[in-house]
Amino acid sequence: MRTPSAGTGRLFFRGAGSRKRQDMLFCVCLLFPAIVLCTAFILIPIVDSVVMSFTSYKIANLTKNRPGEWNDFANYTRLWKAGKLQSAIGITSRFVFWTVSLTFVISMALALILNTEPRGARFLRSVMMIPWVIPTVITGLLWAWIYANPYGLVQYLVHLFSGGRITDFGMLNGKGTALWGVIIAGLWKQVPLMTLLLLAGMQNVPDDILEAAKIDGAGYLTRLIHILIPYMRSMIAVSVSMCIIENFKQYPLFATLTNGGPIGATTTLAVLSYDEAFVNNNYGSGAAVTTVWLLVMIVVVFLFNMIFRREKQ
Amino acid sequence: MKSNRSLRTAGTALKYAAIFVLFAFLLFPVYWMAVTSLKNNVESYRIIPSLWPEKLSLDGYRTLFQDGKFLIYYQNNLLVSALAALLICVISIMAGYALSRFHFRWNLLLLATFSFSQMMPVISRLISLYGILRRLGMTDSHLGLVLAISATQVPFSISLMASFFDGIPRDLEEAAWTDGCGRIKTLLRIIMPLVVPGILAVGIYSFLMTWDDYLHAITLVRSPALWTLSQGLKLTYMGEVSDWQLINSASILGALPMIFVFFFFQKYMVKGLVAGAVKG
Repeated sequence: MRTPSAGTGRLFFRGAGSRKRQDMLFCVCLLFPAIVLCTAFILIPIVDSVVMSFTSYKIANLTKNRPGEWNDFANYTRLWKAGKLQSAIGITSRFVFWTVSLTFVISMALALILNTEPRGARFLRSVMMIPWVIPTVITGLLWAWIYANPYGLVQYLVHLFSGGRITDFGMLNGKGTALWGVIIAGLWKQVPLMTLLLLAGMQNVPDDILEAAKIDGAGYLTRLIHILIPYMRSMIAVSVSMCIIENFKQYPLFATLTNGGPIGATTTLAVLSYDEAFVNNNYGSGAAVTTVWLLVMIVVVFLFNMIFRREKQ
Repeated sequence: MKSNRSLRTAGTALKYAAIFVLFAFLLFPVYWMAVTSLKNNVESYRIIPSLWPEKLSLDGYRTLFQDGKFLIYYQNNLLVSALAALLICVISIMAGYALSRFHFRWNLLLLATFSFSQMMPVISRLISLYGILRRLGMTDSHLGLVLAISATQVPFSISLMASFFDGIPRDLEEAAWTDGCGRIKTLLRIIMPLVVPGILAVGIYSFLMTWDDYLHAITLVRSPALWTLSQGLKLTYMGEVSDWQLINSASILGALPMIFVFFFFQKYMVKGLVAGAVKG
């Protein structure tokens, strides 16, 4: 009865057919809560919102529980004609590109330095994580205070270093600088995690190969590009994809720092969809923005993985 | 030889200079937040900022403890995050165990769906989530909020938990089975005690992530008595005329528990994060 059989070796309880059915039942019971929760609160809402994006869905539909009416892509065409979609896609791409690449460069530098075990490396590694554990809204408030105009620190430093020529510098008030204000706050929050992951990736690089290369006269850069980075490839791919997704989703920093302003200079897809849905109460239109947003994000993540995989060969 | 040594000294100097600059960037803002919370606004609003308060002032903290709102937000957030962390732990222990031990074909599909759904921006589902919760009569309640924010963390937590179960040899279950121990008892009594580090990692990570929630709270909860911290901070204290001492005091109080939790459980967190990233 309980004799192990080789055929069902992949199952955890080895045994005859009835055991397999029991296993399956047990497995389904264990998975049930997770499936219900994720289906009800993630999958159905996503499908629902894609459907909603093709309909006219306003506050009355919500309160009276009435389904939206098909409106021939009006949500999309209206947003496109007003130029809102194009501008939001552009701003989101700029934000994601700069935040992710700068986060990667800074984190890589920091990880390389910490990997050489400087004095106090252990201590530095743990205090480094402080920005990461600070809630995003508080990060926003903190940087809002640093950028504040008047009284903020940045404004004072700019005044000081420009020799008093630039007074009244408002990082978040200028159309050109506002996005950078958010990017810097995002960097501050995300560099710690990326550094932690890259440091973990560096542990997998065999020391003897690095040592051998050094003896053969390979310079620092050669070792970095030809040994370290190839060995860390999968960790780099994972942490960068995580960072891309994270920044595509960024909303709380924009909400606390700029609210999409000044004059729409930081209105990303996230801000646009929130405003359409919850400020203008035009849910169909908000859903249209999030559908475009989803598509852009999927394409970017897919492309990143494609390029990364091709480089491997 | 001599030039080689001076080159190395220069390299070391450069290294420490880089450490100094990078850590100043990461840590000075935290210091600035703490210092501003201890300065009265007259001092904060000077043209030349002072690095250390001339006169320590606890007015910000005093106001927060007395205004009758901050403590409520704080309490709400603790309740919501703790409940969510608990729920996430229970669900991910069950599902993680199932995915680690049983390899039915649809399990893989499930895992793929989970990790895909985790990518989805929150706003994209908030609109219809609001409708769903309305139908269930759970808008403007902590229960609805807890369920919604738990769902966002469940996919990652499951794969994290599964990676911890993967590290436990299957012989243990075989032995328990031979001794006549039932499936549920085996899981609870024999396997679970061995994955306590994993449970801690999942629990703390969930607590941190749900404490960070802003979007769910701000759309699903309307009554000020139920607001969470992030929501309350944004809606109450970030007004037209900002009282920066008050805001920074609130920020310090909102960030401190997370910093403590992280330092206390750092070992589990770091291991868990790396394992989760590699797996996810």
